[in-house]
Amino acid sequence: MVITPVHYIVVPLLAAFAIPLLTKIYKDAARLIPGIVLFYNIIVSFNLLKYVNEHGIISETIAGWQAPWGINLVITPFTGFLASMVSVLGFIIWLYGYRFKRTLKGGLVKYYEILQMMMIAGSIGVIITGDLFNMFVFIEIVGISAYSLTAFYRGRDGAEASFKYLLIGSFASTFLLLGILIIYTQTGTLNMAQIAERMHEVPQHMKIIALIFFLISLGIEAEMFPLNGWAPDAYSQAPSPTSATFAAVVSIAGVYALIRVLFTLFDVPVNNYLMIMGFVTMLVAEIAAISQKDLKRMLAYSSIGQVGLVLIAFGIGSKLAVFGALFLMLNHAVIKSLLFMTGSYFIYNTDNKKLKSLNGIHKRLPLVSFFFSLGALAIVGFPPFAGFWSKFYILIAAGDARHVYLIVGVLGVTIIELTYYLRIVGRIYFAKEEEEPASHKPSINAIIAMSALALFILVIGVYPDLIMQPLNQAADALLNKTHYINQILSLN
Amino acid sequence: MEMLSSLLLIFLIGAITTYFVDSINRKFTGIIAFLFVLLGSLFFYSNIHIGDVFVFQLGGIEMQWGINDYSYYFSYIVLGLGVLALLYSIKYIEGKARQGYFYASFLLTILGMIGVIISQDFVSLFIFWEIMTWASFLLVIYNAYYKVKTKGIKYMIFSAIGAYAMLTAIVFIKEHYNTLLIGEAIERGAFNFQQYRYIPIFLLLGFGIKAAVMPFHVWAPAAYSKSPMSFTTIFSGAMSKMGIFGIGLVLSTFYLQHNPENFYWVKLALGWLGGITAVMGTLYALIQVDAKKLLAYSSIAQLGYIVVGLSTGTKLGVMAALYLAVLHAIFKGALFMVAGAVERQVGTTDMTKVSGLIRRMPWTFFVALVSIIALAGIPPLGGFVGKWLLYEALITESNNYFLVIVIFFSSTAAFLYSYRFLFGLFLGQEEKETEHVKEAPISMLIPMLILGIGSIIIGSFPGLIFEPAAKAMQAIGFKDVTWQMSLLSNIWGNTTHLFLISMLIFSVFIIAFLFLTLKGLKKTRYVGTKEISTSGELPKEWENFTFQHNFFKPFERAASPLYHLNMNRIWKDLGKNTEAFFGFFRKLYTGNGQTYALYVIIFLVLLLLFKDVIFS
Amino acid sequence: MIDFHTIFEQYKEIISIAVYGTAVFLIIIGLYAVLLKKHLVKIVIGLSIMDAGIHLLFVAVGYISGGTAPIFSPGNENAANTMVDPVPQALVLTAIVIGFAVTALALSLVIRLYKHHHTANIDQLKSLKW
Repeated sequence: MVITPVHYIVVPLLAAFAIPLLTKIYKDAARLIPGIVLFYNIIVSFNLLKYVNEHGIISETIAGWQAPWGINLVITPFTGFLASMVSVLGFIIWLYGYRFKRTLKGGLVKYYEILQMMMIAGSIGVIITGDLFNMFVFIEIVGISAYSLTAFYRGRDGAEASFKYLLIGSFASTFLLLGILIIYTQTGTLNMAQIAERMHEVPQHMKIIALIFFLISLGIEAEMFPLNGWAPDAYSQAPSPTSATFAAVVSIAGVYALIRVLFTLFDVPVNNYLMIMGFVTMLVAEIAAISQKDLKRMLAYSSIGQVGLVLIAFGIGSKLAVFGALFLMLNHAVIKSLLFMTGSYFIYNTDNKKLKSLNGIHKRLPLVSFFFSLGALAIVGFPPFAGFWSKFYILIAAGDARHVYLIVGVLGVTIIELTYYLRIVGRIYFAKEEEEPASHKPSINAIIAMSALALFILVIGVYPDLIMQPLNQAADALLNKTHYINQILSLN
Repeated sequence: MEMLSSLLLIFLIGAITTYFVDSINRKFTGIIAFLFVLLGSLFFYSNIHIGDVFVFQLGGIEMQWGINDYSYYFSYIVLGLGVLALLYSIKYIEGKARQGYFYASFLLTILGMIGVIISQDFVSLFIFWEIMTWASFLLVIYNAYYKVKTKGIKYMIFSAIGAYAMLTAIVFIKEHYNTLLIGEAIERGAFNFQQYRYIPIFLLLGFGIKAAVMPFHVWAPAAYSKSPMSFTTIFSGAMSKMGIFGIGLVLSTFYLQHNPENFYWVKLALGWLGGITAVMGTLYALIQVDAKKLLAYSSIAQLGYIVVGLSTGTKLGVMAALYLAVLHAIFKGALFMVAGAVERQVGTTDMTKVSGLIRRMPWTFFVALVSIIALAGIPPLGGFVGKWLLYEALITESNNYFLVIVIFFSSTAAFLYSYRFLFGLFLGQEEKETEHVKEAPISMLIPMLILGIGSIIIGSFPGLIFEPAAKAMQAIGFKDVTWQMSLLSNIWGNTTHLFLISMLIFSVFIIAFLFLTLKGLKKTRYVGTKEISTSGELPKEWENFTFQHNFFKPFERAASPLYHLNMNRIWKDLGKNTEAFFGFFRKLYTGNGQTYALYVIIFLVLLLLFKDVIFS
Repeated sequence: MIDFHTIFEQYKEIISIAVYGTAVFLIIIGLYAVLLKKHLVKIVIGLSIMDAGIHLLFVAVGYISGGTAPIFSPGNENAANTMVDPVPQALVLTAIVIGFAVTALALSLVIRLYKHHHTANIDQLKSLKW
């Protein structure tokens, strides 16, 4: 096998160091190289996913050190699927933002591109690592890039959002370290498979305290309810491609980390916790979203709401529910990226982020408006768009588990969601028009990126069987804990 | 059969084509859309036969599309009205912006409705139901009226409540009966009120909202009256029938599986819901000044009758409901087209501003007259037969005489608004402002005339409808449904020869017409509304002298307690309060980073304190 | 020459309590500063103190009394039996680097906030809310 998971880490890191040098030679290198790297990631991911689905789990030990000293990278159908998804979306977001701020002076674009690439590479790292402390390191890489990108615009608000994000993010890393420390003292290893194997020896009270630290810290990354105060600010103040990355990549990595720790490491029942907190997250986020006046902030709350639904689905815990949750993660990543991308053009054309200024904007941006409406319909879960299927499978799974109130609650919250999304669609198309400022038409690369996402929404909506296979395998891989442990321990 | 999927494909391609043709050449958009629907209908009636079934797998779920007599019956409403409505649209929508958008959504709506009636499993039913809903939402917000944003959202919220109620029911059918096929679910007793009562209740809620049953009707008046009229034709005429389609399916199987007397409360509740819908719809129709709104409320009332018919669960009652469903599609389609024609030619349908159009738009008047007669239920036309059947079913088979009185009251009161509509728009004094008004273009008149003549024919030969309706009823399980072409009989042994009656009445009509025309040849002086003698005082400019102003004021005063029961206001308050409540909650996000940090710590402490409760 | 080794042996328990106690105390001080101090720089300092506490905790956990530095050298191949646990130390090194980066970033943000705002009071940074 030529391609190994190490490429995920080595290539972006090398590129990150090379970019400042190469920019001296060729000015556009800063913008081109991340694209090449991210595209290479896609190739790696697809190859690995294909290999894993045929031959079983890959566990790559770095530099020959055994656990707990060494670090291993693990590709299972589950992590392989998420890594592929994140790579593809990362690439599409890069494509979208290719001409982003090309007029910016002082070589700032360089930093933007490097940070953006590191954020995506770090998220992939979170997903593929098999080592708990390594996960912490990757989370911090993502975090630092994300804080910097949030403050990328020099206005006051960006720094403010970034500071809040950093404050809460530091809490997350503190508690994550505490959790790791407890786990390490109790099991003597940092390798996740080994921890999982030895977890039953850990005394119950230690286990639960460690679990609580993980729930808090990874809950912050996964935007769970009382811990997500940073999220709306960061989403709304970051540059739009970065907001899309937050929704499509960073939050996915956060949810992955939480789920990996809860499902594989611990054997404590957290289903009710996940369901209740997921529902509260969803409810509060949608309630907050409905009265927003700022488009990106509204999309941010909506993202939190979607993550809440993902957590609910993981909380149900059956095969079908996990399948639905993964499907929803995919849909959320695709659709929310599309919404942020189109929303960015709305904002670009109106020079403020307020919803009011979207009135009748479709005349100026017909294609973008169309894509936005498509995304709005899809994320609410109207058939025949992709969002419907994930919601449907989750509901069926909830029905199988007889969670009546959950079904009614989720659907009730969906009505709130539908209200504010369709209000915007109505506004875009039918409200009275404001006077027309100079129009910034979307550039060709942005159109390609958005069309790719829109096409995905339509195709998967009409024919979901296309991705049923990898999703099924991913769900199996996540739920089959003993297989994971045995495979990795035997491979090491 | 691949035929069913090709049928849907025709509409889909039609929608996409029209959307893009519009940006190339907007002259042909309407014609192309019309041709696609015509093609689809011809395809349907030539290539698709009763009993066709198409089974396939999608997303791991077995799906089944098929046609039976019951769905075939409803296809007449959808496709027949669809073709006419699109023909009507060509001129109606001419010159307006975004025609591609209009026609594409229109075709998608028809696609959704066809999908609903051919679905034989719940998943595709839900999918098509939602396609129908959002496509129609796009049309409801099409007219950029000042308040259309909120009205459209109201429609969408109520539709979503209905659709999600349905989805909940579907999820539980899957859980309890382990099937998603409608046929199997019926066999296993899914529509049964005995075992899992909430399944049929949720399904009825879902279908009932689309059929504008009280107290979930509040979306309907605004949505019906604010959408483009050519769409309202099919919106009120056909899409509300999708609700009836579902209610009929649920109720009839339920009644056939059980002795309805054991579930008298179901019958009673539905009957009364229908009855109240009919009465309130009629009462609100009375006080409307806008003809479109009047028709919208009248639609709600008519749908109430149909629900009452279905609630009886007897052969006669269901027959009455099915008959009224088609009839309502015909005459209400025609009336909305009339309103649309008036709107297009005059610019408004406000009855205090328009009057005396009979000379300007005689053909439109003819259609309006015929349809109004059908609506009011006066003998030669269809409404009479429908109401006859309904009364007979209620009196002989339901023992619910109070409900009969309510329905009777409602249909009598319907005369009042029928009169108001007809008199308001077409008769009465001619206004100066409407002197330049011309008759509607021929392509709008043709569908109107077809519908008008249709209601005459159906009134004389109700058997034309009874035949497919009887088959449809057999398809959902009723046995030995009898009918006769032009004869109504009742259990007391009397028969009524409809054709004779209609011939009789028509001859009277013709004589009267000849007489009046001859008389009308004499020179007449027309009096405008402003040429009015007041005792010495000159009327001010702003005073409204049209007789439509405060038309039913005395009645309104008499019935004022009923008007206080304003569901619309209740829902509005509910919505407002909910949003205010939501606004309170979002203050949790105070904007202060330290507060967020504090949340984290508090949450940590809470988890640590209650760890035994949470993780046990 | 004082024999540290024996002193450690004698006061092993007290020292370990003192080390753990210091670590927890540092974390609590840090939390106090972050949650209750209004000045941005003080908050950043609080974060650093919190980090320091955690790092101390890590090192303390990995310590084996009387252990040697976790280094293999020629002639000392059996060091694995006597040396302290190397993993926490490696982790702490990484964590310190990360903490450094975060602190630097936080301070630069504070500078920018101060420039735009002319105040470093966190209560006045509430333009993004609800």
